[in-house]
Amino acid sequence: MNSAALQPPSRLWLAALLLLCIGAALFSLHQQMPLAQWGALIWQPELNNLDQLLVYYSWLPRLCMAVLCGGALGLAGVLMQQVLRNPLASPTTLGVANGAQLALALATLYAPTLLVAREWLALLGGGLATLLVFALARRRGLSPLTLILAGLVVSLLLGAVNVMLMLLQPQGLAALFIWSAGSLSQNNWDGVLFLLPRLAAALLLIGWLVRPLRLLELDDSGARSLGVSLAKLRLLGLAVAVFMTACVVSSVGVIGFIGLAAPAIARLLGARTLQQRLLWAPLLGAALLLLTDFGVQYFAGNSSVLLPTGGVTALLGAPLLLWLIPRLRLPAGRPQLQPATQLPRLQREQPLLLLMALLLLGAAALALLFGLGPQGWSWVLDPQVLQWRIPRILGAAGAGLMLGLAGSLLQRLTGNPMASPELMGISAGAAMGLMLLLFIWIGAPLWARLGMGFLGALITLLIIISFARRHAYSPDRLLLVGIAIAALFDAVKMLVLSLNDPRGQSVLSWLSGSTYFVELPTALMAIACGVALLLLCLPLARWLTLLPLGESTPRSLGVPMRAARLSIMLAAAMLTAAATLLVGPLSFVGLMAPHMARMLGFHHARGQLLASALIGALLMVIADWLGRNILFPDQLPAGLLAALVGGVYLIWGLGRRR
Amino acid sequence: MFQLESVTFAVPERTLLQPLNLTLPPGEMIGLIGHNGSGKSTLIKLLARQQTATAGSILLDERPLHAWGEREFARQVAYLPQQLPAAESLTVRELVAFGRYPWHGLLGRFSVDDEQEVARAMELTDVTRFADNLVDTLSGGERQRVWLAMLLAQHTRYLLLDEPTSALDIAHQVEVLALVHRLSRELDLGVIVVLHDINMAARYCDHLVALHSGQLLMQGSPSELMNDACLEAIYGLPMTVIPHPDQQSSIAVARA
Repeated sequence: MNSAALQPPSRLWLAALLLLCIGAALFSLHQQMPLAQWGALIWQPELNNLDQLLVYYSWLPRLCMAVLCGGALGLAGVLMQQVLRNPLASPTTLGVANGAQLALALATLYAPTLLVAREWLALLGGGLATLLVFALARRRGLSPLTLILAGLVVSLLLGAVNVMLMLLQPQGLAALFIWSAGSLSQNNWDGVLFLLPRLAAALLLIGWLVRPLRLLELDDSGARSLGVSLAKLRLLGLAVAVFMTACVVSSVGVIGFIGLAAPAIARLLGARTLQQRLLWAPLLGAALLLLTDFGVQYFAGNSSVLLPTGGVTALLGAPLLLWLIPRLRLPAGRPQLQPATQLPRLQREQPLLLLMALLLLGAAALALLFGLGPQGWSWVLDPQVLQWRIPRILGAAGAGLMLGLAGSLLQRLTGNPMASPELMGISAGAAMGLMLLLFIWIGAPLWARLGMGFLGALITLLIIISFARRHAYSPDRLLLVGIAIAALFDAVKMLVLSLNDPRGQSVLSWLSGSTYFVELPTALMAIACGVALLLLCLPLARWLTLLPLGESTPRSLGVPMRAARLSIMLAAAMLTAAATLLVGPLSFVGLMAPHMARMLGFHHARGQLLASALIGALLMVIADWLGRNILFPDQLPAGLLAALVGGVYLIWGLGRRR
Repeated sequence: MFQLESVTFAVPERTLLQPLNLTLPPGEMIGLIGHNGSGKSTLIKLLARQQTATAGSILLDERPLHAWGEREFARQVAYLPQQLPAAESLTVRELVAFGRYPWHGLLGRFSVDDEQEVARAMELTDVTRFADNLVDTLSGGERQRVWLAMLLAQHTRYLLLDEPTSALDIAHQVEVLALVHRLSRELDLGVIVVLHDINMAARYCDHLVALHSGQLLMQGSPSELMNDACLEAIYGLPMTVIPHPDQQSSIAVARA
């Protein structure tokens, strides 16, 4: 690839791509309207002919929209990558799109009048999200990986808020989807006319910025010594990129991955200099989106199903990202929540473990008996009420225990303090398995749901490990695979929900991690499963102690690597699946609990496993109790609340000074 | 004794080790030398079972490497990788105790014997006074000695060391190699060590094996290899060997 990279991209590719697009367009048009009418369409559309009307007011604007949006996102991606010198920066990975979408959703629900200036609203949301990402990553020198990680955390957090909105305002659900799913369908030229002047303005600005931007290919000191004001240039470049993203989001919603994929493909095809990439990425982005959209139109046909193209691009983009990861050259950089030497160490672990167990029991008892009722805060001893609360508390505790344990196992398996079921996409994998089951087998029994969740989690974990092995488990690749899988899951979720199926609502409440529907058998299963797996994992402590040392040392000490890895992976997948079944895929407990255990000074594998399990259970019990009482009589799902708290904790952990 | 019979190692693009026949006797300190990319690191990784040969067979005590059980092999051969892993929040004693894994296994008790072996290993490498310090807070030379102690706690017959001195200054290089040399004598250990510095190799090793482009170029005692012609063949650079001012040995300097 090295020698090829020095060549400018061949025009052959361009021609082939253009031909492909034209071919697809002609084919699509042919489906809309017989050949005989084409001439008439161009010269003078007959507005009483339905076919021509449809083509003129729906098909054609949609085509233009795809080209404009794809191009704009591709361009925004190049700009962000150049400005941040980060091959993974893009509107989706930096949380810009999600921020813009959330701002629009909030406005739709609470202040519809503001929607007049919707692109500025989206700009505000996207800008704020970007600022948040930056504030997080800044203290660590904006290293590429930290930035992407911060972007992931912010996106997950915004996603959680979004789900909360949907739950609190089910009547506004449909409106929210307009901003989230990325449907390109048009019924007049307004969208195109809205987008065109704004993108043209952005394009002008970019043209003016090209020369100084090129210098950013040097490192900071190099560019500065050539007399470029880096801060201003970065700010301006980013602002333009965010603005373009905001415009796209405010007219069609979030379109995943084009902004990441187009520049990356351009690079792989050999576009090396900034000018080449600025030309190629928008073209590729437009072509990608256009072709995807034709595909969507073809497969959706004339059925009433509104298949959002943005979701489909994310669906296609995730495998693409997986394919790209081994081919990307990333600057080194290890995001760590906490440098090694500052960690406290406990001399004796038992007293603190005992204390934590007591604390958990106390919290569970409190959550069971005390709460907000119709008469205000009160103690309840009524068995009628308690029989509702017991399963929830048991379920929450079991799920938290399992997540804490799974996170601890994964961090030790990979030697990576950022590994967790949530960030590695394992929870998402389990959730995909479960969602699939919900649609093919309504009312599937517990064992089937558990089995499908386990299968999803295990497949995800196998993909991740097989990828990571090739790169010696470097934390960045691990997280990237996780990002790709999380994005895939997001796309699947959006697509499922946009099908407008009645099952969607139940999926949604489960996804957000409500313990509301947990019944006693399930809860008991969770506790039993968690405790059993905990007991099974404790004897593995010696492997878990040696594995973080990397590949060669454990091997030379005679650890059977395959068997060790496989058994830990199986346990982690099982734990994640069971926990996901109870509280949904997003909670950050699997990341938080092991981290807190380390901060408390548990550094031996055995103590850390026990401590994270206890902390996880405690966190979930508290989250469940808060969720029941915070907005009484409304209820917030425990998983969602844990995710919100966890996101804030993570942001604090990431942002702390070294 | 390690016996290699037409051992090859290849990755998709190229062959890193051509068919190699070699016998490495026990109880000696053997230095692997050669230019960058000559295959010396590959060879030591094959011996340590960190990688599997593409073709050919490696025998340890007349038994193929793959026929040894994981822990059984780890009780015979200890290996120190070139890049030491980060030992996050581990004390020296804890790290050295890892060397006992091949003996007690996953579930076995950490016995008095194990404890004594750990103490002995720390004694031999003179790290007992750091026993309760964190490994990551030690200096490079101290850390290298701690890892050596872990290898000694493994109580093997062979030590395989991949460039144990590459990150150390000259004083610590001498310190570590002298220690390894002494241990080899006192404990009758077979040591196979990859070394960059020909003078260090000549001074501390009993036997040198020179590789070039993945092939065995020559082998012999340091005095046999320390001459202008041999060194030029090994490193592809004109070298001059001059007598050491104070010692019996000789030293090589680059002429170019």
